Amino acid sequence: MVAREKLNQLKARFGPAIQRADLPADDRLYLFVEPAAMADICQCLFGELRARYVVGIGADDRPHSGSFLVAHNFAFDTDHLLGSVLTYLPADRPALPSIARHVPAANWSEREFRDLVGIEPVGHPFPKRLILPDGWPEDAHPLRKDQPWNEVPAGYDADREFAFDDPPEGCVVVPFGPFHPTLDEPAHFRLYVEGEVVRGCEYRGFMVHRGIEKLAESVLTYNDIPMAAERICGICGCVHNVAYAQAVERAATLHPPPRAEYIRTVMLELERLHSHLLWVGLACHIVGFDTLFMQSFRIREPVMWIAERISGNRKTYALCVIGGVRWDITPELKAELRQVLTQLETEWTAVTHAIESDRNLQQRMRGVGIADADLVRKWALLGPVARAAGVAIDSRRDHPYAAYDRVEFDVITASDGDVWSRVVVRALEVFQSIRIIRQCLDRLEPGPLQAEIHDELPIGRIGLSSVEAPRGESHHFVMTGENHRPRRWRVRAPTYQNLQGIPAMIKDQQLADMTITLGSIDPCFSCTDRLEAIDIRSGQLRVYSQEDLLKLAKDQWQ
Amino acid sequence: MKTAFLIAGAFANVLLVLLLAPWFEGILRKLTAQLQSRQGPPLRQPFFDLLKLLGKEDLETGEMPAVQRAATYLGLAAVLTTACLIPLGFGSPLNGAGDVILLIYLLTFCSVCTLMAGLASGSTFSMLGSSREVMCLVTLEPILAVAILIGAVHRGSFRLDTVLDGSVYASAAFPWSGLVILVVVVLSMQAFLQRLPFDIPAAETEIMDGALMEYSGPKLALLKFSQMAKLVLYSGLFVHLFVPWGAHLAFPLGWLLFWLKVLGVVLVVTVIAATHARYRIDQAIRYFAGLLLVALVALVLASYGY
Repeated sequence: MVAREKLNQLKARFGPAIQRADLPADDRLYLFVEPAAMADICQCLFGELRARYVVGIGADDRPHSGSFLVAHNFAFDTDHLLGSVLTYLPADRPALPSIARHVPAANWSEREFRDLVGIEPVGHPFPKRLILPDGWPEDAHPLRKDQPWNEVPAGYDADREFAFDDPPEGCVVVPFGPFHPTLDEPAHFRLYVEGEVVRGCEYRGFMVHRGIEKLAESVLTYNDIPMAAERICGICGCVHNVAYAQAVERAATLHPPPRAEYIRTVMLELERLHSHLLWVGLACHIVGFDTLFMQSFRIREPVMWIAERISGNRKTYALCVIGGVRWDITPELKAELRQVLTQLETEWTAVTHAIESDRNLQQRMRGVGIADADLVRKWALLGPVARAAGVAIDSRRDHPYAAYDRVEFDVITASDGDVWSRVVVRALEVFQSIRIIRQCLDRLEPGPLQAEIHDELPIGRIGLSSVEAPRGESHHFVMTGENHRPRRWRVRAPTYQNLQGIPAMIKDQQLADMTITLGSIDPCFSCTDRLEAIDIRSGQLRVYSQEDLLKLAKDQWQ
Repeated sequence: MKTAFLIAGAFANVLLVLLLAPWFEGILRKLTAQLQSRQGPPLRQPFFDLLKLLGKEDLETGEMPAVQRAATYLGLAAVLTTACLIPLGFGSPLNGAGDVILLIYLLTFCSVCTLMAGLASGSTFSMLGSSREVMCLVTLEPILAVAILIGAVHRGSFRLDTVLDGSVYASAAFPWSGLVILVVVVLSMQAFLQRLPFDIPAAETEIMDGALMEYSGPKLALLKFSQMAKLVLYSGLFVHLFVPWGAHLAFPLGWLLFWLKVLGVVLVVTVIAATHARYRIDQAIRYFAGLLLVALVALVLASYGY
């Protein structure tokens, strides 16, 4: 009903500009619109209808429809509705008016499809390169279908450097990253510092972009992709694994059996547990409180251990296939898991009491890195960052998936929007996760683990899926295609939005607060970059140049 | 004969600090590890660390290599000279050669050397570390100076052996000034030693070790050693000024008691460091300024005989 209501509202307003509308279910809405009306409709959705911006997607659809495709996804969280506004652009002139002026959160998405697909957002407020390396030629776009996945385009210049803007007057440039003790992964913030106060910054990331979406669209098949998706992130891998599987299931209207849904829920919550425990430890480490860092890692260890008992791996559970899960939780494992949860609950209660009464920690964290409800809306900030500002969004409740509609839990919020509130929110969410896992274990009924799939998956269908990762909503967009693989798969990890809010959060703050502010969104650069770490197997000492490494990588693939 | 005795004494003190400083650092690491549910490295690990660094190639990477070298060597030299001035279980070897004013100079000079080492290396983060070091220096060093001055006022002398002997309590009336300055110095001890919550000029997770960021190999070993020695020397100074009791017992007893007290101070410093988060520079400076104000009040009290 809600989907139809929103559709009618938009139809009354824009009439013929809306060419076609799909309502495959009551919680999904796909609008196909005229390119010229795209900006107005998005502005209306964001401004008047108060939708939350989710992600923008560009796709090369020329082999099928002869045109390019752009989609902007929105969410109506209180109405439990996810929607996508799509438009086709002519192959000879892929350009459309930018929406980033009215919907700031679309800033990176538009720059991303400009880089990767070559669709020009006309009038973008900050049209700089976002993802492609500096030496990449202007006219080559890796996600176009005529661009092979394993070739560096002609004209690649490895020596070209990124042109940063000039710093404001009176400011010193402090390079924060690409390598810094508190960044576990490479990203570069060029901070403009006046004395000890940060006045602004410019971000350059995506240093290890791995092109996992391109691989999925050209090499892998439907059931390979969950394993690749899992390797997007070293912490919330299972989230991407489940989100992808769900997006495909949505597109193909498949329903995994209940037992599979409960198992997915259990593993997602286990992942949240170890992620939050890790984060609280890291936050303490950043402000120099290493004792709590070590203690929370000690408390976290049994969670990793039980994950290995269940799935065979501490991380990277290899959980999903399309339509179900790959392994079961046996009664013995259930008992062990319950034991781990009891121990965790006792120990975490002690830790939260210690944190709550620690004035020293509060002095470092209160009033620092503030993101209020307005900023949350402007940049579409997600997860604990939004909830700490009193914006009660949680995909588990707003866009239920797996077995979340059958379990009870509270959405934890705080009101100050500072780093301290984020600590409190995450610390308390641990208890909610324990509560959810217990309910799932109680209700885990016997039954099949996978839905039977008799036919090939339908072609050209769209699937959206939001999964609440420990850091916020992970959103996957899938358009099904030929050869057992999607035509387009777009991953939007929560850090992709949260990072865009960082410049506003650190402005006019002490330099010392930069690290904890950045740390407080629990940044996951690998999720944004969609990369994988390289493992080094070498007994002999050898120094590799950049060319050597590239050659090595290519040889391995051929 | 007297000269030979002097040289031998100075040599003994330097040797004591050289041997004991890494060992105390080892105790600090071990205790920290235990508090964090870790095994921790063996007590002799800091020796190995220093030896390893000393054996590495001596790279000249900064903007002003000559200044960097000078700052590193002079820093350690100043620390070791300080070791000759402070009695380490027996009388100060260079008692007649200097007074407490020299002691204050030397301690400040150590910090200035670290500062120079940072400035000369010329990277952004070293500069930040050095600028933080300056801010701490100008607010912290006066506190120590005031503590020593209060003792000097009470005793009416700048001689090392008279001041470094519980002199802060030596007022004619009830030692109000001594008690006040005791509290102030206890509260600023972590900052003198640049340990948490006041390791702000180094702050690994913010500015990556600040002034020392660009250093490696032998120079880093010397800088690290200066830091370790400071832990021992400041603790010793604290013991002499504020917990002097039993210092005049016969040789093995008095000597043992002194080092036990130093060990006690190190343990307290370690526990505080392991249970606190780092303050921001603005919070710290406000805190130091408050302490300095109280210290000055104590000095006024002392000059009126309290």
